[in-house]
Amino acid sequence: MLHRRVFQFFIVYLLGIGLLFGIKLALNLSDYVIPGPTGVWHTGQAEFSRYMGDVLDTFAVAVIGQVLSILMALGVGVAGRRATWFGSFIKVAAYNVQAYPIVAIAPILFILLGDGFLTRLFIAAMICYFPLLLSVIGIMSEPVVDIEHFYRVTGRMRWQLEVKIRAFENLHKLTTVISGSATLAMAGTIVAEFIAANAGIGYSIRIALYQSDLSKILVALFIIGITLSLYQGILELLGAGLKKAWAAG
Amino acid sequence: MGPRLAFPWLAALILLCLVGNTLVAAGPVVEQEKVTYRLKWLINASTAGDVFALDQGFLSRQGLEVAVKAGGPERDAVRELELGYAQFGVASADQVIRALAKGASVVVLAQLFQVNPLQWIYRADDFSLSRIQDLAGRTVGITYGGNDETIMRALLATVGMNEHQVRLASVRYDYTPFFRNQVPIWPVYRNTQGIFLSDKLAAEGERVAFFDPFEHGVRFVANSIVTSKKMIDLHPQTVGRFTRALLAGWQAAMAPANENAVIRAVTKYDRDTSEAVMRRQLAATRQMIQPDPDIPIGHIDITAWRQTEQIMIQQRLIPGPVNVIGRLEPQQAP
Repeated sequence: MLHRRVFQFFIVYLLGIGLLFGIKLALNLSDYVIPGPTGVWHTGQAEFSRYMGDVLDTFAVAVIGQVLSILMALGVGVAGRRATWFGSFIKVAAYNVQAYPIVAIAPILFILLGDGFLTRLFIAAMICYFPLLLSVIGIMSEPVVDIEHFYRVTGRMRWQLEVKIRAFENLHKLTTVISGSATLAMAGTIVAEFIAANAGIGYSIRIALYQSDLSKILVALFIIGITLSLYQGILELLGAGLKKAWAAG
Repeated sequence: MGPRLAFPWLAALILLCLVGNTLVAAGPVVEQEKVTYRLKWLINASTAGDVFALDQGFLSRQGLEVAVKAGGPERDAVRELELGYAQFGVASADQVIRALAKGASVVVLAQLFQVNPLQWIYRADDFSLSRIQDLAGRTVGITYGGNDETIMRALLATVGMNEHQVRLASVRYDYTPFFRNQVPIWPVYRNTQGIFLSDKLAAEGERVAFFDPFEHGVRFVANSIVTSKKMIDLHPQTVGRFTRALLAGWQAAMAPANENAVIRAVTKYDRDTSEAVMRRQLAATRQMIQPDPDIPIGHIDITAWRQTEQIMIQQRLIPGPVNVIGRLEPQQAP
């Protein structure tokens, strides 16, 4: 699973970079517009370790942000799964919070929280929270009639059991959504760093843009991609392991 | 010829006269050549001449239909020239030199700012920065990767100081750290942000001063009009007409007598700046576009370009000399 993710990323990255080099060649563009393979290679050699550190910094914030958003989405999803007034209120509130584009709110956050760790974390969590919430609400609102019926007629159904049944029956879906949300968490953190933070790969990309250095951006994209592929692969492995352990238990 | 037969002929004659009359009144139809001009930044007092040249028909009188497009942090005129999205643009000297170092074929037609508007603002009541050494131990805001970083490092290098003797703080567009005095020396464009920030602080009873690198010997060239080498080779007439019209527009825009008309032209695009502020921005811009009446608008300061290239080599922003002087092709003044 892990090696497949990495292999797939290599294919996508090489296709993308190959397309860029193809355009450069076809239109006879200078290295200023699109850098050549040697330029990218040399930049990679010079910047790899620094950018790797930046990506890991961003990644750490993204993972914490994702965990927070999973917890929030599970909390809101479980609370809002019932078609009661309170459930509906929770859903409306959650949807409305997401209606504001985070990029517009970000400057206010930076004024209130500064341009450090907390703001990056908050933006990362907010960006990956909504898709997670939609999936969790979708899963938690859908009864697994065959199984739940037994517990209901025997009077043993409790809300914790209901949540467990629905989560287990949809574990594959949940794993896919959580794995996918890793990308959003990373993107959210990078956006936050790009707008105003002083650390992380988003900040480095911004500096590279100021310097009109596309080579650095291509190197940064490579490291971001490979890190995310590994992380997503690990999440999928964990999901598969969890399902196996749960089924055995 | 009976009356029935005469009527269509009479109608046709009247129609012919009317059409002919209209054509004569309109004058000869001249086909306008379409070109795109990409600015470096959003439209404000810093682009007064560009907007005025368009608004007052300086460009159209030269047979040019120009689409003036606002710039921004994500826009790069040099790239657009090479990709064919624009035929002319505004670029800073460091952009031009970086592009040359990477093989781009860019040519400088005129230098708009004789004095770089990038300066540092500080509270005059707190301290004074009359020498570069006065920066020692203070927190100085810079945009990492931006040309203010390059200029500040060049300033420090001229007196043998390094970045360990000052505290460099990363800044963005949010002025909160400056208002809170966390970063008391803040980089601004003197003629636009400088005016606005001065007003804000004056409202709180605080006086400001500016630290100008130009006064300390660092002449880092700012915005210039650029085009591609291909454009000069294939359409030299267009390049000449464009540059002459644009510089004539700048000349007119900088004349105090035209101030009201210039403000009306700029306000069409910049609705957020009040007229009073814009007047002061325009006055500051005049001092930077033509600080010396003997030097024509658009003059290319070769010494400053040479120094800019040297600074970039010293700071290893480019691997070696690019002979930028060979890419300065001033056009005939209007």
